[in-house]
Amino acid sequence: MSMTASASIILAAMVAGYAVAKILKLSTELSMLAAALVGALAGGAGFPARHIVEGAFTYLDICLIFITATLFMNLLMESGGVAFVVRRILVRFHRHKAVLFVMLAVLLLIPGALTGAGSVTVLIVGGMVATILGYMGLPKAKAAAIVFVIAGLSAAAPPVSLWAMLTAAGVNMPYVGFFLPLLIPCVLLALLTIFILGWKAKPADLDMALRELPEAPAGMNWFKIAAPFAVFFALVVAGRAWPFDVPILGLPIIFAAAAVVTIALSPRRLDVLEIARRTVHQLLPLIGTLTCAGILVQIMTLTGVRGLIAITVVTLPLLIVILSLFVTLPLSEAVLMWGAAPVLGVPLVLLFNTLNMNPVIALAGMSIIWPLGDAIPPTAIIGRLTVETVGLKESYGRFLRACLVPAVLIVVVGTLMVFFSKKLAFLTVF
Amino acid sequence: MTRKILILALGALLAVFAGLGFYNIRHLREPVVLGPGVAEVKTLSEYFPALKGSVNDCNIYVLGNAKPGGTILILGGSHPEEPSARLAAWVMAENGMVDQGRVFIAPSANRSGTKVTRPGGAYPASYTIPTPWGGQTFRMGDRWASPLDQWPDPEVFIHYPSRQNLAYMDVRNFNRAWPGRPDGTLTEKTCYAFIEMIKKEKIDIVIDLHEAELQYPVISTIVAHQKGADLAALASMVISGEEFNIGVENSPKALRGLSHREIGDATDAVSLLLETPEPFLDATRGRTDAQLLLTGQDEFVVRAGKRGLLFEKIDKKGWPIDVRVGRQTSTILTLLDLWSQDHPERAILLKDVPKYAEVIAKGTGAFLKDPKAADPARIRYE
Repeated sequence: MSMTASASIILAAMVAGYAVAKILKLSTELSMLAAALVGALAGGAGFPARHIVEGAFTYLDICLIFITATLFMNLLMESGGVAFVVRRILVRFHRHKAVLFVMLAVLLLIPGALTGAGSVTVLIVGGMVATILGYMGLPKAKAAAIVFVIAGLSAAAPPVSLWAMLTAAGVNMPYVGFFLPLLIPCVLLALLTIFILGWKAKPADLDMALRELPEAPAGMNWFKIAAPFAVFFALVVAGRAWPFDVPILGLPIIFAAAAVVTIALSPRRLDVLEIARRTVHQLLPLIGTLTCAGILVQIMTLTGVRGLIAITVVTLPLLIVILSLFVTLPLSEAVLMWGAAPVLGVPLVLLFNTLNMNPVIALAGMSIIWPLGDAIPPTAIIGRLTVETVGLKESYGRFLRACLVPAVLIVVVGTLMVFFSKKLAFLTVF
Repeated sequence: MTRKILILALGALLAVFAGLGFYNIRHLREPVVLGPGVAEVKTLSEYFPALKGSVNDCNIYVLGNAKPGGTILILGGSHPEEPSARLAAWVMAENGMVDQGRVFIAPSANRSGTKVTRPGGAYPASYTIPTPWGGQTFRMGDRWASPLDQWPDPEVFIHYPSRQNLAYMDVRNFNRAWPGRPDGTLTEKTCYAFIEMIKKEKIDIVIDLHEAELQYPVISTIVAHQKGADLAALASMVISGEEFNIGVENSPKALRGLSHREIGDATDAVSLLLETPEPFLDATRGRTDAQLLLTGQDEFVVRAGKRGLLFEKIDKKGWPIDVRVGRQTSTILTLLDLWSQDHPERAILLKDVPKYAEVIAKGTGAFLKDPKAADPARIRYE
């Protein structure tokens, strides 16, 4: 039997395994594990314990970044820092809609940019931002759409963009040069999103909004909020400025150091163990997804299925590949979540690289499209999380319709970045 | 509760089975039967004591010393996932005889990298080369040093001393850390130790053996520091005329950390790097197993070639390991011939190492010695 035929049969078996697991109402991560196990069996590898464990460790470093960054953000929230910032911004800018929108967009971008997870944005600031938007007269569906879309952009924004990191790692490409190609479209699209969807908003009703927002504890101030971020950036900058004198810390320890500063400066006594436990519980589905995506990729590579997908993608006409990104990327995200990056992103970047396009810009363009899939079933984890956090009582379809205009904008910008990647190569400066 | 205990037990079982597999490979003893030409076996820490007791304190097999001449260092296993590099070094250590000068061979220059396989890569843990006496098993290895030996990775790897920014995982890449530094990471210390060795032993030529995926533009070639450009060009002409096609490329001055650039810059040695094709490394490869590693035959990579996506030819015959090992040994022998003709006072006369045609005809395994039949005093383990 030819390699194409055998890999196709194994792929079909894996798809069937995934579908059956979903029908049995298993979670996405367990469905991916089921697909991997079926693939190993169909590929004649039996139950490959070594490959399962090795695959599970593929994204260990990223999981650690994820956990420590989210712990840092959760500690900041529990200390009252986030509520303090939101209330201060509201008090200061409630009469200036445009300025308030810019501040809210930045506020939404920060947690996801630092952690690589849109869900963290939704959980940390999504609810509070939605409250303010509600008191500016926006319907909940639109408020939810703003939170979801900007949360997705925040996940794609630098410094931690998991889609770009996972794909870059898959093609032995340095995760270097992505800062501006990710930052510029994410910031611009976030601003466009909030201004377009919030077009009809009125200046916020300050009293009502303040009454509903959580109180900031006495003793909280700007220094206590800025200090942990200052420590984070100081350690990052020190590593770059004096690389031969400063010991290698790694991002997880740097985030942990910022968390320690947050604890030390918190005006509230923080139950660190409880917050850490809640953080891990909150991240379990996402860590599970990364772990199972690693196993899935390992088994797909072992059995030749990854090669089949890669060779199929790289031998398609380029124009078809680029023009179909708006469907293939969100759909792959909906099924595999971050697993889509190594499975689909790697062959796409290989194709672009071989055709002399700029792989960094192209991958950055793809990275801003991927998060849109987080609103699409079967997973729709972040879409549903947003709807719950914002307290939207209307149908999920109404929320999706509200996301449509910014989604189209994101798709257009992302696709254009891929198409004109070579001309935008000047952005890959650091 | 029962369900949780069951899942925990399954997890523990999985960890034990997989853990045993990882342990066995990390501690697999790979024998080198010292050939008649081996005069001495040194360790890298003799040149930089701080490495003593570390995983990267590798063996250095020294051939020759009968008649004064030049000295060459051959680095195998810089990237252990490129097996023809280690195998060619092995074949030379077990068979080579030196009439003039000295030959230093490090089959496992980056030993930490031999003890791990790439997560997500689905590499086989090991591979076996068939021999007349059964077969010899080697660790598969990875491109990077094991995170068990060097971790965590930085947010971005800044090369010493150029300060060039490189990918964070390349902090564990032996061929991005040259010239190294004494107080750096394990990988940097290892490179530093080799630089110390090159200086102390007055090594004339360093040849770093590698393999590359066919989608990589630097393939089937000799990459040469400017000090070795003429030698490499001549070798390329001779080999391409007599044995197989091999190109020559200048070592880019702007790309830092690579052996062909930094060794040449930091020492008096001529630094060269050889690349042979290894379809196993291609991202479009199909089933990933030891068979693909050793035959180099892959339907998907052939398809990529037909679409013009590769920088080296491939057909159904693939790139078998014997072809790749033969390319390495023949290129080294030709380089030494040409060097010796040009530098009679620093000549390095290496013999009894099989050339391209002979390795293909007899197979690599024909040149691996049976450790069971050897004097135990003449066996070392990698």
